Amino acid sequence: MHIIACIKQVPRDNSVAIDANKRVDVSGIEPILNLFDEYALEAALSLNDEHGGDVTVLSLGSDDTVDQLRRSLAMGATNAVLVTADGEPDVASAVGIVQSAIATLAAADVIVCGRNATDDESAAFGPMLARRMGWTHVTYVTKIVSSSATHLELERSLEDETEVVKVPLPVLISVGKGAVEPRFPSLLRVRKYAKAEVPVIVAGAYTNAASVVDRVPPAARKAGEIIAGADVASKVRTLVDRLIADQAL
Amino acid sequence: MDFTANYDMFLNEEHDMLRQTVRDFAEREVAPNIRAWDRSGAEHGEGPETRTHIRPLIEKMGKLGFLGICFPAKYGGAGMDYLALAVLCEELERMDSFLRVVASVHVGLNSMTIFQWGNEAQKMKYLKPQAEGKQIGAYGLTEPNSGTDAGAMTSTARRDGDHYILNGEKIWISLSDIADTFVVFAKTDPSKGNRGISCFIVERSMPGFSSYPLHGKLGVRAGNTGGIVFQDMRVPVENRLGEEGEGFKIAMTALDSGRYTVAAGAVGGIQGALEASVTYAKERHTFGVPIGDHQLVKRMISNMVRKMDMGRLLVYKSGWMKNAGRRNTRETTLGKWHATVSSWESADDAVQIHGAYGFSDEYPVERFLRNARGGVIYEGTRELQELLQADFAMGTRELAPKLRCELPAYNKEAWEAE
Repeated sequence: MHIIACIKQVPRDNSVAIDANKRVDVSGIEPILNLFDEYALEAALSLNDEHGGDVTVLSLGSDDTVDQLRRSLAMGATNAVLVTADGEPDVASAVGIVQSAIATLAAADVIVCGRNATDDESAAFGPMLARRMGWTHVTYVTKIVSSSATHLELERSLEDETEVVKVPLPVLISVGKGAVEPRFPSLLRVRKYAKAEVPVIVAGAYTNAASVVDRVPPAARKAGEIIAGADVASKVRTLVDRLIADQAL
Repeated sequence: MDFTANYDMFLNEEHDMLRQTVRDFAEREVAPNIRAWDRSGAEHGEGPETRTHIRPLIEKMGKLGFLGICFPAKYGGAGMDYLALAVLCEELERMDSFLRVVASVHVGLNSMTIFQWGNEAQKMKYLKPQAEGKQIGAYGLTEPNSGTDAGAMTSTARRDGDHYILNGEKIWISLSDIADTFVVFAKTDPSKGNRGISCFIVERSMPGFSSYPLHGKLGVRAGNTGGIVFQDMRVPVENRLGEEGEGFKIAMTALDSGRYTVAAGAVGGIQGALEASVTYAKERHTFGVPIGDHQLVKRMISNMVRKMDMGRLLVYKSGWMKNAGRRNTRETTLGKWHATVSSWESADDAVQIHGAYGFSDEYPVERFLRNARGGVIYEGTRELQELLQADFAMGTRELAPKLRCELPAYNKEAWEAE
């Protein structure tokens, strides 16, 4: 079985700045692997544990994304590919670029990705890639219930229910925070892959359908207010009255 | 800010990925529970019945290779170097001391000592399963009436055919109720003072061995500390580590390894206190500004940075010397002295920055303070380290000539070979 895991490097938190050119400035913020992509990679590795074959981890990013790819190799992936592109591709462009890169790899049976990236929060990448490839896709996967060479049985956690679906391969699944915690890299694999050479695919020209015309930081949070009162009971009364008045209760 | 950046004169990509791995491990496996574990140690004691979290964590560390980090693959190790051990200890103690203590006693004091002094059979029997995390090792030198003055120990080992019969008690033993094997010291010839001490590898399963937990410690309450007792315990001759009478030298070299882990951990402790303080100093406002804008708060943060960077450089220098196979007693004791005292002072400043909140366990800094105090005492007191530096400087103490068994220098190719 060949599984491709699409991963993305994101800043650890969203306290990003916006520079004079309206670009997001993440300097000084630790880059990490997108949380949901860690769960997606774990799903890929557990399928690989069961069926063997290859797990290719692929990321559209910059040179420093190599660290996340090497870490993925240390976790258990068998191959890694970095895809680079000029500028800032939007989701549709990113999907096109990744689709072209996937076309250069061995045919895949399963593609996994996180349900969304914690930086842009679009949650569109997985479904859009599946649509472009003409593949079945399943979103909000939290567990692989069972797997065979031809089918996957997947648990989806939805807002009001949990459902189990059975789908034929090939399939693209987007994975949420699941029951199985992502594994840690073992030191033997850290030693083996810390300096691994990762092949790079340079994307061709692309045209964004949408372009960012402005970026502004979120409005600063209003300062809190300390409620005065003679005693705790009267302070709580005032607080509750205010919450009711503000329709927070 | 990445406080660990720009140490590439010592560290490489392997160390960076190791650091990330250990940090993730500590944040995922320890952070969510550490307050409860620490509280439970204070409220319910440190007996094995309340310390059920320790062995599963150690087993996970073993599977990941943490417990054999700086040993050759042929002994079950990960084949990394001694600097990797420092990175491991830093990141564990950045979260809490109790797992760094595991690294200190299991890797530093026990396994490294067997690696240095053990014969091939002992390495295969004890070092290999310990490096693989299948057995847990600890160390017993201190006794109720002998600490810094280790030569005053009263434990005895009397030769009886192809066995020794050990009697005595060791105290302040980390993992006393959990470890499977212990590197311990006893006098085979009490008339010879330090030259009459010998070293043994003993097993919990040996008849005559017992252990007990200590209660009411100031810090490291998530761990297990206690005493071990030998009562007419028969230990096979093949479990003697080194020659008869060589025990004091072995104990001192073990401390060169153990103090290195304590020093590295203390650097991580400073970083934990610093990071908590920086976050709080930006969030907390007084007089209309974040408290980080006040000069005296800045001074405390600056001092932490200075002490952390100096400590890290001293520790990495020791690690570099260990990698090169150079004796490093002076450098390691200097690093241990500086880093542990600085860790205590930095945690104290961190509590001060947090004000009244720092006085409660709602924030981690009071735990950092309690944990840091122990490092100023164990594995060589602050005062001992201080005296050693003066003695080295004045030439009144010199390193012993080449030991019969030196800690092996790091050999990347050989250590990575299966």
